[in-house]
Amino acid sequence: MASFSLPTNNTLPFLLHSRTPKATLSQNPPLLPKSSRSQFHGLKLSNSSPVSIPSSSYVKGSIVAKITEGSLAPAFTLKDQDGKTVSLSKFKGKPVVVYFYPADETPGCTKQACAFRDSYEKFKKAGAEVIGISGDDPSSHKAFKQKYKLPFTLLSDEGNRVRKEWGVPADLFGALPGRQTYVLDKNGVVRLVYNNQFQPEKHIDETLKFLQSA
Amino acid sequence: MAILPRHNPTFRPLHHARLSHHNSLPARIYCSTTTTPAKPSRDQIIKRPTIVPAALVQTAATVSTRPVLNDPSLQSTWSHRVWVASGCTTVLISLSKSLTTAVDSHIWIEPILAGFIGYVLADLGSGIYHWGIDNYGDSETPFFGKQIEAFQGHHKWPWTITRRQFANNLHALARAVTFTVLPLDLICNDNAVLHGFVGVCLGCIMFSQQFHAWAHCTKSKLPAAVVALQDAGILVSRSQHAAHHRSPYNNNYCIVSGVWNEILDNSKFFEAMEMILFFKLGVRPRSWTEPNSDWTEETESASLISEL
Repeated sequence: MASFSLPTNNTLPFLLHSRTPKATLSQNPPLLPKSSRSQFHGLKLSNSSPVSIPSSSYVKGSIVAKITEGSLAPAFTLKDQDGKTVSLSKFKGKPVVVYFYPADETPGCTKQACAFRDSYEKFKKAGAEVIGISGDDPSSHKAFKQKYKLPFTLLSDEGNRVRKEWGVPADLFGALPGRQTYVLDKNGVVRLVYNNQFQPEKHIDETLKFLQSA
Repeated sequence: MAILPRHNPTFRPLHHARLSHHNSLPARIYCSTTTTPAKPSRDQIIKRPTIVPAALVQTAATVSTRPVLNDPSLQSTWSHRVWVASGCTTVLISLSKSLTTAVDSHIWIEPILAGFIGYVLADLGSGIYHWGIDNYGDSETPFFGKQIEAFQGHHKWPWTITRRQFANNLHALARAVTFTVLPLDLICNDNAVLHGFVGVCLGCIMFSQQFHAWAHCTKSKLPAAVVALQDAGILVSRSQHAAHHRSPYNNNYCIVSGVWNEILDNSKFFEAMEMILFFKLGVRPRSWTEPNSDWTEETESASLISEL
């Protein structure tokens, strides 16, 4: 059941809820894995519905579990901005920050990419690599990367196959591809999942904080 | 204020998006306004036209020349006055029906509450409409084309709204209000709550263009009562609306009281709507792109300099 509440930083009396913490949600309903809850600034929206459990996707009768903390990240091979195929396995041996974002050249995604760019040296210092994934094609990624001088790889998940496989939850009742970031350790195991649609810069803060404290 | 000698008393209709800079302009008298952005350069990027519902677009002409003081297109015509009178009449009838029914029925709280809700929702409606017109469509869009063009013109020359005469400024909204409220006046009787809501809501919408104009004026040019209402948050404030005319031009869309601005902006309501429309319909709002010279706001001083 989807639910939402209005921003807490407003003083209007009818505003109720506070933002829930991001990645390690502990108050999720038992049916929902932590990473199924999406967050906006001030709006907390669960994308679960009685019809489909967001933690699972029903594919022709089979259930594919969503990737959560502790999961081994499934392998994928996607094309990068230059059209070259890149496999996740290439990054084994070092931590990887894999961030799924809605689309190139949208305000939130641009802020997020630029924030990752501006903190890229810190991620490198923590020994981590950064990979951005959206459904845009390689040419879109190439233009986006060039325009904003992004130093990291962007991968084209055309058809959103990997997004679905990893169980990245959609927002706004499925109308919007979710914005979710995974931090994988050097063995490819997911150590952090962070979701926040409308505060994209927080993905950088949270993942960097995690990497620096690890 | 600076008054320049008139060189070319050329008539130019106002408020059209396409700008042409080829005409030299006659003298103009300037009043300072609060909506100009930081840089007066004409290369400044400003993307969007501001909004304010239809009232800005008065004629079907496609001009887009720099506005001129004493431009006839800023003045009220009898047609304008008739529409404003009709709009006001329908609203007053609705309010009086609410009052008389309330007296007859001995109810007070409900109609007053309905009126208050009307006032609050008028602000929300003004913001959503403003956002839509500012970001989507163009001058060729059916039905809305003229308004869209006008909004673009307003972003380019925001100060002109302070030069418009009253009926000129309000007549388009008054026309819409007349067509909306008149049927309700004729059909609905004995409904104090409905008329309380309609009268206040549509009345605020009709006068939103006046509130908008006041939000573009400097404090010294406004009656003390208006300043007090703006400071109290009952009418949209000058500072709040000025923020709409500054980069990134994607906030503070509401122009009745502005009470919804903080909620809508903080909750990223419009950003969410823009993302949904982008993913569902493939349309990008104007606020996502770099402003180009078509949207560049000309300050009064920049316009003056260009004429020299």
